[in-house]
Amino acid sequence: MAITQFVVNGLLVGALFAAVAVGFALIWGVVDIINLAHGEMVMLGGYTAYWLLSIATGTAEGSVLLFLATIPVVVAVLFVVGYALQRTLVSRVIGTDIFLTLLVTFGISIAIQQLAIQAWTANPRSIQVAFADPSLTAAGLVIPKMKLVAFVGAIILTAILYLFLQRTRTGRAIRAVSQNPEAAALVGIDVAHTRAITFGISSAVAGGAGAFIATILNIEPQMGLIYTLKSFVIVVFGGVGSIPGALTGGLLLGTVEELTAGLVSSRWTLAVSFTLLIVLLVVKPKGLFGTEANE
Amino acid sequence: MSTESDDGLLRSVVPPAWVDQLFARCQTHGWTLILISAVVGALPPVFGLREGYVMTVLSEMFLFAILALSWDIVGGQTGYPSFGNMAFFGIGAYTTAILVKDAAIAFPIAILGAAIAVLIFAAINGLIVLRLRGHYFAIATLGILLAVQQVTRNLAIAGGASGKILFDVPPGVVFYYFFLVVLVVEIAVIYYLTQTRFGFILNAIRDDEGKATAMGFNTTYYKTAAWMLAALFTGLAGSAYGLFNTFIDPQTAYNGAWNVELIAMALMGGTGTVAGPVIGAFGLHTVIEYVETAFVGWQLVLLGAAVIVTVIGFPKGVVGTIREYANEMDYYERGGMAAADSEEPEVTTDE
Amino acid sequence: MSKSTDSDRSPATTDPVLRTEGITKRFGGLTAVDSVDVEVHDGEIVGLIGPNGAGKSTLFNCITGTLTADEGRVRLQGDDVTDWPEHKIARAGLGRMFQETRIFGGMSVRKNLLLAAQEGGADIGGLLRRPDDSLVGRTNELLSYVDLDGLADTQAGRLSFGQQKLIEFVMELMAEPDLLLMDEPAGGINPSMLENLIEYIRTANDEEEATIFLIEHNMDFVMEIADRIYVLAHGERIGEGTPEEIQNDQRVIDAYLGRE
Repeated sequence: MAITQFVVNGLLVGALFAAVAVGFALIWGVVDIINLAHGEMVMLGGYTAYWLLSIATGTAEGSVLLFLATIPVVVAVLFVVGYALQRTLVSRVIGTDIFLTLLVTFGISIAIQQLAIQAWTANPRSIQVAFADPSLTAAGLVIPKMKLVAFVGAIILTAILYLFLQRTRTGRAIRAVSQNPEAAALVGIDVAHTRAITFGISSAVAGGAGAFIATILNIEPQMGLIYTLKSFVIVVFGGVGSIPGALTGGLLLGTVEELTAGLVSSRWTLAVSFTLLIVLLVVKPKGLFGTEANE
Repeated sequence: MSTESDDGLLRSVVPPAWVDQLFARCQTHGWTLILISAVVGALPPVFGLREGYVMTVLSEMFLFAILALSWDIVGGQTGYPSFGNMAFFGIGAYTTAILVKDAAIAFPIAILGAAIAVLIFAAINGLIVLRLRGHYFAIATLGILLAVQQVTRNLAIAGGASGKILFDVPPGVVFYYFFLVVLVVEIAVIYYLTQTRFGFILNAIRDDEGKATAMGFNTTYYKTAAWMLAALFTGLAGSAYGLFNTFIDPQTAYNGAWNVELIAMALMGGTGTVAGPVIGAFGLHTVIEYVETAFVGWQLVLLGAAVIVTVIGFPKGVVGTIREYANEMDYYERGGMAAADSEEPEVTTDE
Repeated sequence: MSKSTDSDRSPATTDPVLRTEGITKRFGGLTAVDSVDVEVHDGEIVGLIGPNGAGKSTLFNCITGTLTADEGRVRLQGDDVTDWPEHKIARAGLGRMFQETRIFGGMSVRKNLLLAAQEGGADIGGLLRRPDDSLVGRTNELLSYVDLDGLADTQAGRLSFGQQKLIEFVMELMAEPDLLLMDEPAGGINPSMLENLIEYIRTANDEEEATIFLIEHNMDFVMEIADRIYVLAHGERIGEGTPEEIQNDQRVIDAYLGRE
């Protein structure tokens, strides 16, 4: 039945939104910054995967295994980018007027976008993966293989992030800093470094999601803002700093979008997303799993 | 960003007292200054500049000054930084374009229609966004900008994604004066308001909204008034722009990059001041224009970098930094922190 | 200190300036304020004391409209203001000073004072007029009264904490509220500044019949300045009376004073 197909499509793409949103939620929760350049990390991840494949095979095509091999590299590269951005630029506005922190990340966003345009032109690109056709069919539903791969990849990235936060020493340090930076400093945690690491891993996960996105959608230099805003919707819904919340929110948002596209028209999906944003902000829930950010 | 003037050399060359006096002079002769600037601005066409690149650049400078100043009413004076002011611009632009092109309405009346449309829109979306604070407010305004952009893109009457092309537009010099007049009026209005109770209340909301409420001010009322005032001027600028440019589409009318640009202008010039956003607009726009011609395509990279640098190093902007420099001396003369923190609760004065 | 004319205080009103009846406020499972009755009469200085967490600030917030009481009524000059929004109650004649001393740091001291004056209110004319000379004159007078004349044009945020507290107080003098709530006015200032403050409060009370209701932990301060004192503990009112009566009230001593 058509609706089920839409829902499935929504869940498949929603996981990618979730993977992007998770990093956004983390930065907001830990560094108390709304990173308006977050979407650019997605974009950079997509382009990194694209160029890696191009270097390896001469064209932006490859087998799925080759593609998957780029993921760790993408993650590493974006980690460095995120870490550097926080350490050199963003850290200087922490604790100042909220408006200034928003503006600096917006400035970074614009700078990255425009540099990308200069470097790679504004033409959309995508990665073609050989095994994408034909799609799978099951129970009357069409499931494109790459979407499934992307779905699994997004879930794995999210899960790794979650486990990292829960199980590792650095993860605990991150959680400590999010709760009480002064106390964390007193017990010997390097707060500046920890914040930068948070930025790094958030960007890394977003970049990984971006790589998957490049295989199922087009990438172009200015795609980032939409992902940033969708992340905002998801995090407001799911709760600041909450990974389960971001996951739920992402899947939901994806579903809502696909249902809109299927039942109404794909031209209205963005309008619906932004309207959802406004509705959420007005209703301002405490978030499903987390706590409302203090204002 | 240092708050203390540890620069002894600067102090001896340009003593803070002079700067303070300069500010005082500007205050007393504020209206004269505005009048002089208006006259100076009105002169170029009289002396022969009636078309061409320079006229366009000057017109755009006035335009951006209007936008930056309007942003500052709500962002700098009231403390509600909006990332979606261009929504008003776009609505103004599209309303005028539709009225002029599709309904064959005369330009002046179309502008009036646009102003009304913008005010209604501002009232409605103000109801929604003005109850939010900080991050939420900023992002909500951005969301509205993008939502309106998307909706416009899907409307046939607005020409969809291709926009509208306009013919039979008045000559460039008309727009030059239009933008100049709107700018001068706006400067005058804001300058006046900053000296009235209304202006004080806006600043109070910025500094401590809770305290303002506790003192008896219905802050919603004032915020909405400021919001609608900003919308009006932004909408007026937008309404002329479509014709000025002979073309609008969702991308230009609801330009997110411009929104950042105008915020940057207000910031660089000095938020919360009258001259700041104007100075910032003139300065930044000139630089961006130059870069656009000399290094095509890099102007927005420059913008991003300029924003970053300003926010990190220079958040008070030109006017703000100068004012602080002057103010410091003011305070220092009257007793200073050191005197106050000692056992004497009273500040010793020379009077 | 010249006094501008009172607007409309009806002459022989028998209503106390403030009366709360059975104010109760709960947060989740916790009852912060439990059925509290207090009264403040014209010209009195009434103190509100009690251990931390006793509900004093919550009671204040219910009175000012920052919070809405779950049960009970708040009456200001006889009007039931329980459900009124905060700004409306302030307009009706309620002033408030905050524990953390809140003034408008980005504006000059003079602007802070001008804002506080209730004249020129909400009508458009008043809003769009520049401050008139008599008002400016009054700000000068008041600043002179607290020996802060030279600071009229200084940015308020640059003042020391003690100076800011004085400015916050002077703003209330400008506003001339029917009732002034003060939240820990003695907090964070040195003894000689405190003595000045006591002096100013006394004068305002004597000469202007300022009616004051204050929360305080500094026992010496309260005992010296208050006409009557209410004692709150665990959200309940456990004592009421003059300073002497309170100091000898066994229940109060057990709950609060004895611990000092």
